[in-house]
Amino acid sequence: MIHASFVDAIALPRLVRLRPNLIGLAFPLMKLLPARFIVRKALESGELAPGGLIAETTSGTFGLALAMVARLGGHPLTLVSAPAIDPPLQRRLEDLGATVHIVREPGPTGGFQQARLAILERVLADNPGSFCPRQYSNTNNPASYAPCAEQLAHAAGAVDCLIGTVGSGGSMSGISSYLRLICPELTTIGVDTHGSVLFGQSDAGSGRTLRGLGNSLMPPNVDHAAFDLVHWVGAAEAFRATRMLHREHALFMGPTSGAAYLVADWWARENPDQLGAVILPDEGYRYQDTVYDDAWIESKGLTLDALPREPVEWERPHDEDVPWSFFRWGRRSFAEVMEQPAGVGLVPA
Amino acid sequence: MPDAPDAGPARPALPLASRAARGRAASPAPAPANASANDFRVGHGEIHAHHGEIVQGMFYSSDGTVEHGLVTLPCSLYRTRVRFRPLRSGPLTVEPGDRARSRAAARLALDALGRTGWGGSLRIESNVPVQWGCGSSTTDVLATIRAVADAFDTVLEPEWIAGLAVAAETASDSLMFGPGRAVLFAQRRGRVLLDLGGPLPPVRVLGFNTEGEHGVATLTLPPVPYTAWEIEAYRPILGMLRRAVAEQDPGLLGRVATASTALMQRHRPKRRMPELLRLAGEVGALGVQVAHSGTVAGFLFEPGPGAARRIAEARDGLRRLGIQSSWEFSTDLAPHAEEPS
Repeated sequence: MIHASFVDAIALPRLVRLRPNLIGLAFPLMKLLPARFIVRKALESGELAPGGLIAETTSGTFGLALAMVARLGGHPLTLVSAPAIDPPLQRRLEDLGATVHIVREPGPTGGFQQARLAILERVLADNPGSFCPRQYSNTNNPASYAPCAEQLAHAAGAVDCLIGTVGSGGSMSGISSYLRLICPELTTIGVDTHGSVLFGQSDAGSGRTLRGLGNSLMPPNVDHAAFDLVHWVGAAEAFRATRMLHREHALFMGPTSGAAYLVADWWARENPDQLGAVILPDEGYRYQDTVYDDAWIESKGLTLDALPREPVEWERPHDEDVPWSFFRWGRRSFAEVMEQPAGVGLVPA
Repeated sequence: MPDAPDAGPARPALPLASRAARGRAASPAPAPANASANDFRVGHGEIHAHHGEIVQGMFYSSDGTVEHGLVTLPCSLYRTRVRFRPLRSGPLTVEPGDRARSRAAARLALDALGRTGWGGSLRIESNVPVQWGCGSSTTDVLATIRAVADAFDTVLEPEWIAGLAVAAETASDSLMFGPGRAVLFAQRRGRVLLDLGGPLPPVRVLGFNTEGEHGVATLTLPPVPYTAWEIEAYRPILGMLRRAVAEQDPGLLGRVATASTALMQRHRPKRRMPELLRLAGEVGALGVQVAHSGTVAGFLFEPGPGAARRIAEARDGLRRLGIQSSWEFSTDLAPHAEEPS
């Protein structure tokens, strides 16, 4: 078929069998789904005027997806970004017409993200009629993943387990909420990283090496009660698994895909009679000079000769830098698991 | 069953000329307006009812708009027969006399067949329960249209019948497509959103009424206020339904039915649905379907060994919930071999 736009053409993943009982959902750029849906719904509701300014804080793939959607829809776009943005991505965003504000100093609490939010609010205030997608709190972020659940249900029928990384909460909370309508017994496994507050660690310490999953603030879109199990994966393991995905399956994906694949492959080995699906959120091109460069990995002290065969089970979430751990979250709320809520900041809605 | 119409339902253009001008498939062509006045006879039309729906909700059409749509569960227990005796002029009468929609449908069918101004007498015989959500009104209308066409030795295409039925009734089920061809049908527009490419997978159904024997007037129900999340939720349900039909997998069909039942329960709750869902799980049913705008519901069972025992257990369980009356039918198109007991 001929798609109406390139965004429509590549928004859905390719489905790849990674094991007899494991399906990979390989997205070129997963965030196109929420970017497209959030903008469409904002236009329908009148929150965003035709041709109106869109502003968002992001240094990652959601910004790229927004830039593509905004360009095709004729909307100016302002992105407020951390310095972690790499120059090729910045050039690509600007080629798509986006204005990129880079924030170089972290806020006193909440790190760069809090500082970016402050600037974003200023841009929105200075531009009446502008619209902010707010991927961390906008319920149209999780709702945007229904076409992916539809595609999986059509191709595979009933699945027993969904595995994926958690950052904004959109993809895992959204896809699992839809799949559970038709697969009520679905097991949902969230993959987080050390130093992320999402599932009960603190963001104290030297910061997260593995980017694209986890968060230093708690997004309202993370539906904790959706998760049966939570894994924490370190950077070295995720990078090595990313390369395995490429070497063994010719799947050229980013490091969040590697983290998810590490957990999914373990789950598939442990549950040979069940069918799993793992979300692989973006491609490897942005990481050719990092994850795909052995010298870079060695320079970071993250070289691994072999992957751990299995994770360490934790009795409760805590701060400990083991390579790979997991916890039986049991579809509970954050407060239920943590007993007394830790002092985590909420992203303003 | 059809919902109440929108404020301004788009009625299809019915006269033959306008349909043909829009390039719609209208074959076999009905008799032209100047047909010989003598090529008519007593016409007969017959159609089976349905047992509510496998799914009813909101669906994206190919142009990206969202439409109300449904997939009915065909039911051979109930049917409507209509006899039509045409007259070249004079009144158009219907018996029983309260079937005004059938009379309107006959008038529209006569017009569409080029017999404007003709009259005649309709006699309707139906055992379809009224206001249970089994399509009693639609079966009257569809059997009437078939009987009128048959009087002029014409067999109308289902798409054509759908247009007439929606015009006569303001909304219509998809029964005109028959049990051999499951379709996702826009009941208010009278058009197919998606041809599922085959019949529904074979299931045995244990039907019952959730609200006693009194029904609901389905054409006067207010539209369901679906949320944005719910509208999207029918996407994966449809994805699994397409898989169920392609693979002829009764288990997937059961999951689809239960999902649609659960979503409708948020808006038009059936009495004791949590208990009914639990019972269905306990007796090994594949799923639970409902008339989304009616009172019947059904447990779906895999055909074959074990079905009779499961159905007997389900009947016992229903009685414990105070539901004394239940009935059984099969959607399998093939003749059913009796199970050895």
